[in-house]
Amino acid sequence: MENYRPQIGTDISELDTPCLIIDLDLLDRNFQLIADTYRDTECKMRAHIKNLKSPMLAHMQIRAGGTVGGVCAAKVSEAEAMVDGGIDDILIPNQVVAPDKIARLCTLAKQAKMMVAADNTENLQAISDAASEAGVSIGVVIEVDTQMQRAGIRATEQGVVLAKVADSLPGIEFKGVMSHQTLPGHPDRETRFLEGPRFIQKTLDVKDAIEAEGIPVEVVSAGESWTYDICPTIPGVTEVEGGTYALMSHAYAYMEDFEFAGKILGTVTSNPRAGVAIGDTGSRCLASPSGVLPELYGVEGVGVDSLGANHIVLKSDGDMPLQIGDKFQLISGQQDIMVNRWDQFIGVRNGKVEAVWDITARGCHN
Amino acid sequence: MERPILKSVGTPVEELDTPALVVDMEALEANIDAVHSGFTNSSARIRPYVETHRCPAIAHKQLAAGGTVGGVAVASVGEAEMFAQNGISDFLVVNEVVTSSKIARICALARRANVAVAADSAANVQALSDAARAAGVVLSVVVDINTGQERSGVAPGEPALELARAIAGSDGLTFAGLMSLDEDDLGDDMDALMEQSSHRIQQTLDTRQMLENGGLEVGAVCVSAAQPHLAADISGVTEVMNGVYPLLDVRHSTFLPDLKPAAKVLASVTSLPEPGTAILDTGRKAMGDDYGFPIIEGRGELDVASMSAEHGKLLWNDAADIGLSLGDRIWFTPMDIGACINVYDYIQAVRGGTLEAVLAVSARGLYR
Repeated sequence: MENYRPQIGTDISELDTPCLIIDLDLLDRNFQLIADTYRDTECKMRAHIKNLKSPMLAHMQIRAGGTVGGVCAAKVSEAEAMVDGGIDDILIPNQVVAPDKIARLCTLAKQAKMMVAADNTENLQAISDAASEAGVSIGVVIEVDTQMQRAGIRATEQGVVLAKVADSLPGIEFKGVMSHQTLPGHPDRETRFLEGPRFIQKTLDVKDAIEAEGIPVEVVSAGESWTYDICPTIPGVTEVEGGTYALMSHAYAYMEDFEFAGKILGTVTSNPRAGVAIGDTGSRCLASPSGVLPELYGVEGVGVDSLGANHIVLKSDGDMPLQIGDKFQLISGQQDIMVNRWDQFIGVRNGKVEAVWDITARGCHN
Repeated sequence: MERPILKSVGTPVEELDTPALVVDMEALEANIDAVHSGFTNSSARIRPYVETHRCPAIAHKQLAAGGTVGGVAVASVGEAEMFAQNGISDFLVVNEVVTSSKIARICALARRANVAVAADSAANVQALSDAARAAGVVLSVVVDINTGQERSGVAPGEPALELARAIAGSDGLTFAGLMSLDEDDLGDDMDALMEQSSHRIQQTLDTRQMLENGGLEVGAVCVSAAQPHLAADISGVTEVMNGVYPLLDVRHSTFLPDLKPAAKVLASVTSLPEPGTAILDTGRKAMGDDYGFPIIEGRGELDVASMSAEHGKLLWNDAADIGLSLGDRIWFTPMDIGACINVYDYIQAVRGGTLEAVLAVSARGLYR
C-alpha cells in the first residue's frame, strides 16, 4: 500500500512520481458548477463516490451545494468507508445479496440513512428479515433497467409488484425507483438531450404505475454525469448519480462544461531514440481497460504511442521536448478504475501541494 | 484499502466474502517447484520478478525452492523497499531511476541490501555515481539493452559497450552486467515467441562477447523469458527473470502448459433479471482487466458477456435452466495476473478447498 505524503507547499516539479494529482482550482469549478446547476431545482446531485473513494471529496461537493446531502456508494464496503468519514446518507444503487453483506448494511443503518436498490422479491425478503432482526429500517429503491440490460426490472408491472412487496414488508421502507443510463462514444449535446429523456422516461413510467396503486414514490434516481444538465429539465427526477464529472476522463471530453481536474503525474526515465520518451507510468497505475490509452495533457506535438505495465512510450512529430527527468501529465481513459489503483490524492493549487487525501475506499470491491 | 470480511481459517472457500482473490497453495507450490527444478543444475539461475505478485510470502516460497540467484527483480524503488522490509536482501531494479529523490532512496537501500539498477544513458550514470559517492555506498549498475521491444535501453553492441565503460569508470559504481527485459507483447504463437526470444537473447549474448573482447568483465547477463525453463541452459545467460509462473493467468498459460493457474477471483451472483442473464458483484475494477476479460472456470455453458466497472454480466442459452440462484459463486481466471493482483490488498490462500491463511499483497500500488 502506497503512503506518499509530500510536504505541503512542495512544487509540482519536485513531486515523486508516479502520483495522482488533483488541480484544486479545477475541482472547485466542477463542484461549483453542480452547486449552481442544482441550486433551485427539485432534482439534486447525489455524487457517486465510486469515482472518488474519498470522504473528503464527498464532503467538498456536499458543502459546495446542489446535492441531496449524501452520496452513492457502489458496494457495502465503500459505504462503510464513507460512513467512517462522516457521510450519513448513502444510496447503494446495486443489489446487496450475501447474508453477511446484508448484516453489514444493517449495521450501517444504525449510523446513517441507508438506501439500497433491489430487483427481486427474494432479496427484499432477506433485507427485511435482517433489518427487522437488527431493529433498523433500510430504504429500498426498485432498480429499473432502461437500456443497459444489466440488473433491474425489465417490465413496468414487475416494478409495481416489487413496490407492493417492499411497501408491505417490515424492516424496509419503500422509497422509489432508480436507473442507470449510458451512451457510447462521444455524443453531441443534441443526441444527449434526445436519448437521455427517452431512457429516463421508462423509470418515470414505473414511478407513475406505482403511484397509480396508491404507493407514494419519494425518490427517482436517474442518470449520471452525461445527464447532469438533462435531469433537472425532466419533472419527477429527484436525484442524479454523477461521478466522472468531478475529476473527469478523456472519454468524457464531450462534456465540455467540466474541467480535467484529475491527472497522473509522471517522469521521463529514458530518451532511448530520437523523438521517443519513456515514462514511469504504466497500465498498473493508469488503468487501461480494453487497452484504452491515456492522453498526454498540454504538450504540443507529442502523443501516447503505447503502454506497458510500468512504462509509457511517448512519441513526438519532431524533436522530443520531454527529456530525462522532465515531468508530464496524463488524463486517464476511465477515471473510476484509475482512482481504484491509488492510495492518495495529491491536491495541487497554483503548482504547489495544498493537501494530501487518503483514498480510503480504494479496493472496496466487497 | 480493501475491506473484505476475512473469515476464519478452515472456512470453505465458497463461503469467502466476494469479490475475493483466491490462491490455491498446492497449485502455487507445484508451479514454483516445476520451474525451479529446471534451475537447480543449470548454468543460469532464476531471479523472480516480484512486480507481478507483489507478495512477500510468495517471494519467500520462491527463494526457498532453490535454483535462484538469492534475490528478486522489481519494477520500482518502492517495491524494493517493501520487499527489503520483508526480509529480501538482493534486488535488481529493472528500470532507470533518474530523479534525485529516488536515487537517494536507492543509495539508502544499498546500505542494507545488494542493489543493482538498470541504466541506459551516460547522464543517468553520472547522476548515480555522484549520489553513490556522496552517500558513501557502491551501487551495482547493469546496462539496459533494447533487444527489440523499443522501450528503454541502449542498442546492442557498440552503444552498450560505451555505456558499460562509462559505468566501469565511474566512482561509486560497479559495472555488474547486462539486462534485457521484454514483456507484454506475447501474441499466441509459441514458435514465433521462442524464435523472437532466442533472437533477443542472442543480441545480449553478442554484446557480452563484445564487452569481454573489449576487456570488460560482465558479471551478470540477465534476461527475461516467457518460458523461463528454456533459458536455463543458454550458455552465457546467468539470470532469467519471470514473474508470472507462480500464479499464472490466461494469457501466459499457452506458453507454460505444464503449469496450472493458481489464482482465481471468486464472484457472486447478485441479480437474475431475466432468463439467460446473471449479474455479478465483480466487474472491471475488481478484475484488473487491462489485458482483457477473464474466463469462467468450470461452467462451460456461461459466457462473460461484458464487464462494466462494478458488474459482470453472464449470458447463457435462455432455454436452459442451469440452476443459478442469487448468491451462487462463479470462478474467474484473470487474463493477466499482474494487473489483477494490483487491485487487491489480500490474497486468500486456500488448501484442499478451505482457507489456510490471508497473505498481504504488501507491494500493491507501490509504483514509485
